[in-house]
Amino acid sequence: MPGTRALRSRWSTAAAGLLVLAQALTGCGSSGHGGPVTLNWYNFPDDSGALQQAADRCGRQSGGRYTINYNKLPRGADGQRQQLVRRMAAHDTGVDILGLDVTWSAEFAEAGWIREWTGAMKEQATADTLDAAVRTATWQGRLFAAPYNSNTQLLWYRDDLVPNPPGTWSEMLAQADALAKAGKPHYVEIQGAQYEGLTVWFNTLVTSAGGSVLTPDAQAPSLGAPAVLAAQVMHDTATSAAADPSLPNQMEDQNRLAMESGTAAFELNYPFVYPSMKANQPELFKHFRWAPYPAVLPGRPATVTIGGIDLAVGAYGRHPDLAFEATLCLRDRGNQLTNALKGGLPPSLRSLYQAAELTASYPFAADVLAALDTASVRPQTPAYQNVSIAISHALSPPADIQPESTMADVRRQIQDALGSKGLIP
Amino acid sequence: MSNRTRTLTSWGIANLVVVLYALFPVWWIVALSFKEPSTLTDGDFIPRKWTWENYRGIFRTSEFTRALVNSIGISVIATTVAVVLGTMAAYAVARLRFPGKRLLIGVSLLIAMFPPISLVSPLFNIERVLGIFDTWGGLIIPYMTFSLPLAIYTLSAFFREIPWDLEKAAKVDGATPWQAFRLVIAPLAAPGVFTTGILVFIFCWNDFLFAISLTSTTSARTVPAAIAFFTGSSQFQQPTGSIAAAAVVITIPIVIFVLLFQRRIVAGLTAGAVKG
Amino acid sequence: MTPATALGDPAAKKVAERSEGARQERRLGLLLCAPAALVMLAVTAYPIVYAIYLSLQRYDLRFPQQAHWVGLANYGAVLTSKFWWQALWVTVLITVVSVAIELVIGLALALVMHRAAFGRGTVRTAVLVPYGIVTVVAAYSWQYAWTPGVGYLAALLPEGSAPLTDQWQAIGLIILAEVWKTTPFMALLLLAGLALVPEETVRAAMVDGATFWQRLRLVVLPLMKPAILVALLFRTLDAFRVFDNIYVLTGGSNDTGSVSILGYDNLFTALNLGIGSAISVLIFLCVAVIAFVFIKVFGAAAPGGEPERR
Repeated sequence: MPGTRALRSRWSTAAAGLLVLAQALTGCGSSGHGGPVTLNWYNFPDDSGALQQAADRCGRQSGGRYTINYNKLPRGADGQRQQLVRRMAAHDTGVDILGLDVTWSAEFAEAGWIREWTGAMKEQATADTLDAAVRTATWQGRLFAAPYNSNTQLLWYRDDLVPNPPGTWSEMLAQADALAKAGKPHYVEIQGAQYEGLTVWFNTLVTSAGGSVLTPDAQAPSLGAPAVLAAQVMHDTATSAAADPSLPNQMEDQNRLAMESGTAAFELNYPFVYPSMKANQPELFKHFRWAPYPAVLPGRPATVTIGGIDLAVGAYGRHPDLAFEATLCLRDRGNQLTNALKGGLPPSLRSLYQAAELTASYPFAADVLAALDTASVRPQTPAYQNVSIAISHALSPPADIQPESTMADVRRQIQDALGSKGLIP
Repeated sequence: MSNRTRTLTSWGIANLVVVLYALFPVWWIVALSFKEPSTLTDGDFIPRKWTWENYRGIFRTSEFTRALVNSIGISVIATTVAVVLGTMAAYAVARLRFPGKRLLIGVSLLIAMFPPISLVSPLFNIERVLGIFDTWGGLIIPYMTFSLPLAIYTLSAFFREIPWDLEKAAKVDGATPWQAFRLVIAPLAAPGVFTTGILVFIFCWNDFLFAISLTSTTSARTVPAAIAFFTGSSQFQQPTGSIAAAAVVITIPIVIFVLLFQRRIVAGLTAGAVKG
Repeated sequence: MTPATALGDPAAKKVAERSEGARQERRLGLLLCAPAALVMLAVTAYPIVYAIYLSLQRYDLRFPQQAHWVGLANYGAVLTSKFWWQALWVTVLITVVSVAIELVIGLALALVMHRAAFGRGTVRTAVLVPYGIVTVVAAYSWQYAWTPGVGYLAALLPEGSAPLTDQWQAIGLIILAEVWKTTPFMALLLLAGLALVPEETVRAAMVDGATFWQRLRLVVLPLMKPAILVALLFRTLDAFRVFDNIYVLTGGSNDTGSVSILGYDNLFTALNLGIGSAISVLIFLCVAVIAFVFIKVFGAAAPGGEPERR
């Protein structure tokens, strides 16, 4: 057996070695030097180069006062939120500009993690910007973020199967039925998985039916008859011939894949499907058309839920003035146009939708703008995540929805969610 | 001789079955990595159109390469330290009597059992305060810590089975303590040590939760976390091809590691010869 | 068993020697354990204690000023919630079924890896590849394989069925993904245990006329018992905390969520630190019960026992 003294010295050498190792490993990552301030911008990952270009451009335009460091967040919205929440809850001074999903503004504002926009900055942030987008960045009448890019859904269909696009959901289901009986591809692709997309579908239907999920003061659920109607539409879709068998597991990308594989006739999805179809299925692309989102009530156009990203300024950053300025630059006309053309992100500035360069690669720009002008927003409350989970849990799988009782269930769960009571599933 | 042929054939079939069972879904990932975006949905097990684009894509920027370097470095260091510390502790637990032994085992089991999701945020806070957030050390330390229980348990379970009197016998036969250790004990300890090494390495290599929570830039981000940053052509599109290609690339070091180690696991069988 | 003592030593000297030897042994033991113990304590003491502390508060991360002490109210809320019991039931089901299957298949794999007449290196490496693949990637590949119209496995099923959308079928697929992924872990530990079974004993049994199954049942398995129990213990502890496969395959929808997913949702999505921590502590307690059962009832090699001197 080795002597204890030898062992002890061996151990202390090892410990010393570990210490040196630890010091060497923590030595890297130091910063701090005179010169321009580095602003850290945390945003969803973009490989097209558009966002990096914007960051570089704005750094140059600052005249040496600041540079913008574009830090990527994970691809999924949940991952992005987790990272941002973790850092803001820890009062991280290293986060200057945040790219927030449109549903997070109320939450972050209420927690004191982002700064309010006032005065001249506010004017510039909202000038020429879509109303619905500004609404998503507003909490309790105050502006907390500058709308960055937008997004909304259209109805995509194949004109070799569907000569006239449907105006309402019942028409669409009837057309799908007829196609099914004729043995042709007939699925209606819609996001039916138990996740945020399901809440988006529900929100679109409820607001299109004239109702809303929450009362205007966001203190209680509203729902009512429009919600029951919305639930009915979802149930009918999921139980008709139009339902893709994978509906309860489908998200936006699966819908796109199904449409491209030729089994579907209709698709409710974001414009990203257009360049994808063009690249992957040139044959099908020849018949690929779009139309406004189907209405729920005849004569009352649909109010589609708005999506997108808002840029907010972190509450603990050391250079808020520069951060506000940098944010305004990042979302200016030139950068938003680049985002749109290179990164496929619809802008939040109205006038860009008439720009020639945009309409050249976005032939559907006018329809997107029309949808955005009448868009609905998702319930604005700091407890939005809980509310959304309550909704998507109750409505999943869509085929099992019993409109009346499910809505009563949702009402109860939203009530609990608003009070942060109990568990979420 | 037909008996031998029969044995060889049945082993051959058994081998084939095992390899197929293990590698069938792996082939699916490999196939996905060679498919073009337009053929991803055709469900073909063997791609109709082959392309290297997915592989080219992940190496286009230095992000993935950095992540690979991080993964290798962090995993190797964490594994080495964990195995060393674990071996020392396991030797003590298996062979020696000292107070607090049960406490150590209990505490290490407790650590192995506690859900890591609750520990991530406090660890994040500690690391930020200590300045090791987003560094190699920031990942090595948690990896070491959370693999130590498994290491200690596995190693001590194997150390208990070693006939320690063999060492005494060797010394009686004239061997020095070091020779006794090297020629008698070490080969018997090898299966346990190398098994533990593989398990700890794979744990560090594949960990996602700590990697994504305790890093924020490419300076320390490992491959599983880096995959979460891959993008498709738009925010909704899943970059299946890139993810599959990345999966294939990061499985290769594991295969090499395992190939090197697996021979050692069964190497310690000759100890019985010392019986004499 | 006490070590043999030399003949003829006076009793007092014997006692003195033994106590000096015991003291040295104690010191060595403590020294050897110290680094590991220090590392584990230093890193996990604060987080674990903090997590337990949080579980006794009503603490929503979005309203940090409203955090206040509620004692065991969070535990009450969790234990009276149907979501918890649903998740617990799913978790227990997945754990029991997958571990049982893995034990059987793992043993078979270990035997092949150990006794293969040729190609041992290839087989052993091939077997470990599933374990080495990043879990979320393997889960994605399974999801694609089972999606109708896209995957090769879904094509084998009757037209129109989407197994991932049905609770029972989805759970079955989750178990399949778990088993495929972690059987190598079992197989590896069992292989190392197999390697320690002395050849002569097995050969002696063969000479005595025992068949393969008798040799397996009466000689090999009993000698492998410590290794089997360690493998079972750790595998069960891990299976109970299943997360990655469920997260990717179904996201926990259609009531296929496990307790870990429930904890994750409440901690990271709802930002309810109190409830989330309470769920974590409850998961820990369940797992502790399992460990206790294994150690006390099945006699898993609790290394804290007396060292055996043979």
